[in-house]
Amino acid sequence: MPAAVPPTRPRTGITRFTNCRLVKGDSLVEEDLWVSSQSGKIVSSQAAFFDDLALPDESIDLGGRIISPGLIDVQLNGAFGFNFSTLLEDTAQYGKKFLEVKKGLVATGVTSFLPTLTSQTSGLYQKVLPYLGPSRGIRRFEDGSESLGAHVEGPFLNPAKNGIHSKDVLLEAQTFEDIEACYGKANLGARESNNSPMTMVTVAPERGQMSKLIPELRKRGIICSIGHSAATYEEALVAIEAGATMITHLFNAMRPLHHRNPGIFGVLGAAENLQRPYFGVIADGIHLHPTTVNIAFNTFREGFILVTDAMHMMGLPDGAYQWTNGDATSNIVKVGPTLLLEGTDTIAGSSISLIECVNNFLKWSGTTIPAALKTVTATPAAMLGCQETKGSLNAGADADLVIFSEQLKGGTTELVIDEVWKFGNRAYCRGPVKPPHGTK
Amino acid sequence: MRLIIREKPDEASSYVADYIAHRIKEFKPTRERPFVLGLPTGGSPISVYQLLVEKYKAGEISFENVVTFNMDEYVGIPRDHPQSYHTFMWRHFFSHVNIPPTNVHILNGNAPDLAAECDAYEAAIVAAGGIDLFLAGIGSDGHIAFNEPGSSLASRTRVKTLAYDTVLDNARFFDDDIAQVPRLALTVGVQTILDAREVVAIVVGARKAVALRECLESSVNHMWTLSALQLHRHATIVADEDATLELRVRTVKYFRDIEKVARAQGFEQLLSTRLRTVSDVTRNPARTYPQPAAAVVVDEVQSPATSPTLVHPQPVNASLLRAASPAADDQSARSVSPDFVPDRMASRIPEPELARRLTPNPEQQLFIRTNAVGA
Repeated sequence: MPAAVPPTRPRTGITRFTNCRLVKGDSLVEEDLWVSSQSGKIVSSQAAFFDDLALPDESIDLGGRIISPGLIDVQLNGAFGFNFSTLLEDTAQYGKKFLEVKKGLVATGVTSFLPTLTSQTSGLYQKVLPYLGPSRGIRRFEDGSESLGAHVEGPFLNPAKNGIHSKDVLLEAQTFEDIEACYGKANLGARESNNSPMTMVTVAPERGQMSKLIPELRKRGIICSIGHSAATYEEALVAIEAGATMITHLFNAMRPLHHRNPGIFGVLGAAENLQRPYFGVIADGIHLHPTTVNIAFNTFREGFILVTDAMHMMGLPDGAYQWTNGDATSNIVKVGPTLLLEGTDTIAGSSISLIECVNNFLKWSGTTIPAALKTVTATPAAMLGCQETKGSLNAGADADLVIFSEQLKGGTTELVIDEVWKFGNRAYCRGPVKPPHGTK
Repeated sequence: MRLIIREKPDEASSYVADYIAHRIKEFKPTRERPFVLGLPTGGSPISVYQLLVEKYKAGEISFENVVTFNMDEYVGIPRDHPQSYHTFMWRHFFSHVNIPPTNVHILNGNAPDLAAECDAYEAAIVAAGGIDLFLAGIGSDGHIAFNEPGSSLASRTRVKTLAYDTVLDNARFFDDDIAQVPRLALTVGVQTILDAREVVAIVVGARKAVALRECLESSVNHMWTLSALQLHRHATIVADEDATLELRVRTVKYFRDIEKVARAQGFEQLLSTRLRTVSDVTRNPARTYPQPAAAVVVDEVQSPATSPTLVHPQPVNASLLRAASPAADDQSARSVSPDFVPDRMASRIPEPELARRLTPNPEQQLFIRTNAVGA
């Protein structure tokens, strides 16, 4: 392209991606994308041109590659050797470690996530939660991936479906005071204020009075997810009616689908005219059989969210790793992608990255690339109620992007992360960054 | 007027795109002396824009120093509405080329004072030095821009009510809901287009065949506003075969022949070299065109005392192509008619014409007609 640079044009902070395909809804749209590094948002190119008389500083020709909204992981327990459910001697170190994870995470295409805490003692929640809240006003691409608030998985869970969570720390809530006593009153935020560092809790609605307490959590802007629960179909329905909108790792740590008692899975059958909940699915090839993943997808596509449930061993070599489990310490053994609790055959989360889940899912379901990416972008954003700013390439949304190329592997197409952009700035590039050409 | 006929619509588009690119390159526009381009919206021009974008991407042309003026825009729909002409131009053209936003002019259909917006638009065209090349499309009723049948051929940029046919026709772009279709539009006038130094109209498809016949073979008529091009010194119509379906075989053959001969003689360019590569001196900003207010006689309210007859009737040619119009820049090429004030109708009819018409000489008749079509 002609590269005549007029000397006087002021810099606008706008980058234009051209010759690319955008993930929009269920299709790939050939369209340019303008992002601003100043506002950190996706720009309406037409408005910028006609209103602000603005032109991009740089134009990047992607050669037909795919731009997706940044990926969102709503269940991530830790990464790069740091487990979020860790109480450090020096609490200041916690913030530093958390920042390191965020910086590493952005290279995996995950531009925002819910740091997830397993069932722990009250003391750990109260100390750790303040570090995990949403970054709200702070929009620094240098900080890497962005926390959208904590996902607190426990401790109001059913001991019969504890998975690897320590039964000793599991609690039952009879009143809201019980919940406050566990997480700390400040960490729950005030009613209608939406200022809690907690964005989502996983609860077993059949335990104690939890179903009746769900509305109180909802009033604080906290999303309620059903999980680690032995709830019957009827009990799950009551929880949905009370305001639960999500199911934590569907099929795992719950009753299996039985034709006479469909259990939690049954609520996806659109029964009783209730809003069907969103649900997380771990597509690591270990937690669920590929066909089970497909059944869930075809039951309710709009609610299907891929999650990693990854532990801090993600990206580490095989071996035994210490793990704080409630008030005890145990070991998790990593063999390849499999994580098992030492001395048992209980699956201890995964060590898979979200894009690997997407590629698995693409292979198993044979669905389209935009449909697969939707399960880690638009759908989790809608579940979290932030579809205007996250998981979208529409003007006004945050300019969190992943640039993919496609590779044919064993007859199926795999997505490979080439670049990741956070708030309109390049945060990761697989190869060397090419010098801008054709600055216009 | 020239008529260029190509077999397929894409060949017609490619002729127009090549021509525009050629004109821009030859003009060697600079920041101080930009090439001023008038632009249409609609179905026929889309492929022309596509080709121009391809040429830009191939590095053939640059729009850095091109100033554009669009023909029209709806009134009262949001600027970023998918059917607005701002959106059309952005989607099909401006977003793909290197035109600076400050060089782009499109009428604002949401301006608080629409009349003032129109006046300012005319002034902006004048300030830019007049339009060098106006690209135009044509409606199936022969309209150019939103100058629908019955529009004054002396019209300027103004608010226009859309014909009911147009509203019905456009409903398909607005969820088939007539209530959503804008009823008003801002549009440049026929005279605004005639003031351009050169006009190129692209006409493709059988749907436009009747309109092309009326504009080309019939007389100048406000019911087919494109026919006003007959009065322009440098007008070209580029058509595909389908659009010529209603023309006489003779007309088609005649224009085909002219093109062939012209090409053989190396005489394809219609504009004089001086206009095509006009120097800085002749396009000096000092040469300003008078504001056309006086020309908009149609809207002037006559005082009751004045007789409805024109006191000082002007020859049609002089009124539509005023000496001050940029279109008349090429005066050296033609003789200027002296102003005269006829006192009765008969005196306005040139004597020789009258004499010839009365002569029943078939051979001479044939000769005249052939000439008339080619004029």
